[in-house]
Amino acid sequence: MSADQLHPAWLGRLWGFLTSVRLTIFLLLALSWLSILGTIRYDGIYYTVWFLAPLALFALNLSACLVKGLPQAVARVRRPLTLADALALPERGKFTVSGAGNPETRVAAAMRAELGRGLRQERGGEELVFFLERGRWRPLGPYLVHLSLLFILAGGLIGKYLGLEGRVSLMPGEMVRAMHTPAGENPLPFQLRLERFQVWYYADGTPREFRSDLTFTGEDGRTEQVVCRVNEPVTFGGLTFYQSSYGQIVPLRVTLGQDAQEVEAPLGRVMSVLGGKGKIKVLAYEPNLVMPMGGKPQALGPAVRLAYLREGEHARAVWVLKNFPQVSARQSEPYLFEFLDKSLGYFSVLQVKWDPGVWWVYVGFLLLLPGFFLAFARPPQRWAVVLAPRPGGGWQGRLLGAAPRAREAFQARQERLLSRLTAGGGA
Amino acid sequence: MTSQILGGVMLAYLAAGCLFLVAVLRDSARRRAAARTVLAAGLGAHSVALLLRWRDLYGVALAHAASPDFSERLRLVFLYVPLSNFYESLVFFAWCLPFTALVVFRRQRQPYVGVVVGLLAALILAYASLRVDSHIRPLMPALKSNWLLIHVVTCFLGYAAFALACGAALLYLWQARRPAAGLPALSELDRFIYQAVVVGFVFLTLGILTGAVWAESAWGRYWSWDPKETWSLITWFIYATLLHARLAKGWQGRRIAWLAVVGFLAVLFTYLGVSFLLPGLHSYLT
Repeated sequence: MSADQLHPAWLGRLWGFLTSVRLTIFLLLALSWLSILGTIRYDGIYYTVWFLAPLALFALNLSACLVKGLPQAVARVRRPLTLADALALPERGKFTVSGAGNPETRVAAAMRAELGRGLRQERGGEELVFFLERGRWRPLGPYLVHLSLLFILAGGLIGKYLGLEGRVSLMPGEMVRAMHTPAGENPLPFQLRLERFQVWYYADGTPREFRSDLTFTGEDGRTEQVVCRVNEPVTFGGLTFYQSSYGQIVPLRVTLGQDAQEVEAPLGRVMSVLGGKGKIKVLAYEPNLVMPMGGKPQALGPAVRLAYLREGEHARAVWVLKNFPQVSARQSEPYLFEFLDKSLGYFSVLQVKWDPGVWWVYVGFLLLLPGFFLAFARPPQRWAVVLAPRPGGGWQGRLLGAAPRAREAFQARQERLLSRLTAGGGA
Repeated sequence: MTSQILGGVMLAYLAAGCLFLVAVLRDSARRRAAARTVLAAGLGAHSVALLLRWRDLYGVALAHAASPDFSERLRLVFLYVPLSNFYESLVFFAWCLPFTALVVFRRQRQPYVGVVVGLLAALILAYASLRVDSHIRPLMPALKSNWLLIHVVTCFLGYAAFALACGAALLYLWQARRPAAGLPALSELDRFIYQAVVVGFVFLTLGILTGAVWAESAWGRYWSWDPKETWSLITWFIYATLLHARLAKGWQGRRIAWLAVVGFLAVLFTYLGVSFLLPGLHSYLT
């Protein structure tokens, strides 16, 4: 009784659809289009159902092909080349071997030299048959590749739904017990303090290196001091911290009527000022702001773009210039902002992550390598040499072989083999 | 010094490309051998130029390092490979083309490959020397990683193989429309397209994997849908389509050739378009 009779027809059709290469090709092209849309128009499409649904179908397609094809591939690998198979291979050339010496060793040596290990020898009646196969494991290659892709997709899924990701921004001396995530503040199971942050520059002003000196304090009181650099993450309490970026801390004085306050304002952070009467946020820092003045670009020196907000009002933004304090004073009334003439400080931004899916992804990567090797570098080849005694003495040789997936390599090898066999025979 | 050598290399590639072209048209084995020699000489000089630039970069790095010991020096050598900006990537891409043709496809003796490789490599070098800033730039912190070398090398070897596949595919499409006697047979071109795509696909995959491992160790995310990552994936999808169409559905000929051309357009967009048009982690052009 076949599987078709056990299941209703629609199930068979569904199975046929899920295992079809046509579906694979359609999905690959669909995912390409969706990714193109994602890069040019719809940022973040990758997290929507429009992308995830075809990706899920792709995973289903991969799994179905694996379930359908892997047992066959394993069966093929487990069935070695038999004498009967070898004799059924198509003939590729003829040669003669003189009776002198031992023809068996000469033929075997020629085949070993060209084809490597694994040569077998059997006698079929009068005839001597030498045969071997290469690339026997090749059928497993594509399935290994598909399996590795499933591992990678599973790793992505695990990381997305079970992992944690956030960021911490710290000023020197500051201590935190939580990180920012897209879903809000997330408590950390330890304390983290930035002892020191350093940036080094090249002569042309581009950053050469930056590093954070951190102290972790666990709930059990255990402390650990570490240095976190770009490309050198640190791990504590199961979470990994990556030096992702940094920003300036701008020294400002804020004045409103009689009230005045000096603040150290980190780039991008909302600060409450003047006892809660207002809020400010430094939007951008320019070491040397260039603006068109009277039609010509003018270098105006250090400047910050500052957003500010009074209670019950809309936020407004203004450029505050260190060298020309009067420029912003007129625009920002009744506030007065001054960019103080002190050295800038820096705050450090760390990416925080715990991703249990990474190892699935890496296992996928590792499986991909033997998969590709088998699929592309080990085409199956089967070879046989049949020696039959000639009536007048000596031997008549026939070379048989097949390699459906690597015709050129096969052709070249066939020529080399024949020349070796002929040379060995001295005919 | 390097720019003078590269000027000579460009002329050598140009000459080799032209000689290969003559060899194709006249079906001349002697000219083909001469063309191969010129191309190989160009590749040798090109390698020397790359090594000289590498030495210069190492010198700059050494000037910033305080009394480095042997292991630190070794680290600097691998960090400061000449692969960290647009100019260097172009020069390396131009190197990958004849390297792929002469080394990876050394069995493939057809002169049309030499035409594609010689002319394209000369064009890239000319563009690099005339239009791109070749100054040695200090290395930004994110690029200071041992993964830089392997990531860039695998990616560009892949690009080079795809370029060869595209050249053969264009020739195929031309041949299919108006067959010319001197040009290679369609079946041979078809096979070569497939072989070049396989090599390119394996290297592109390795490039994506090494990039992912690097991103994981540098930023804690092996994949962040950065435009360059996404476009490399699009390229991967297109070539995966080609391989499935050919291996599992038995497509051959014109459709495969078109896919190889479209795939290479995606490669070009991954390499150039993304850098110029879409901002992201890989925007090292500015």
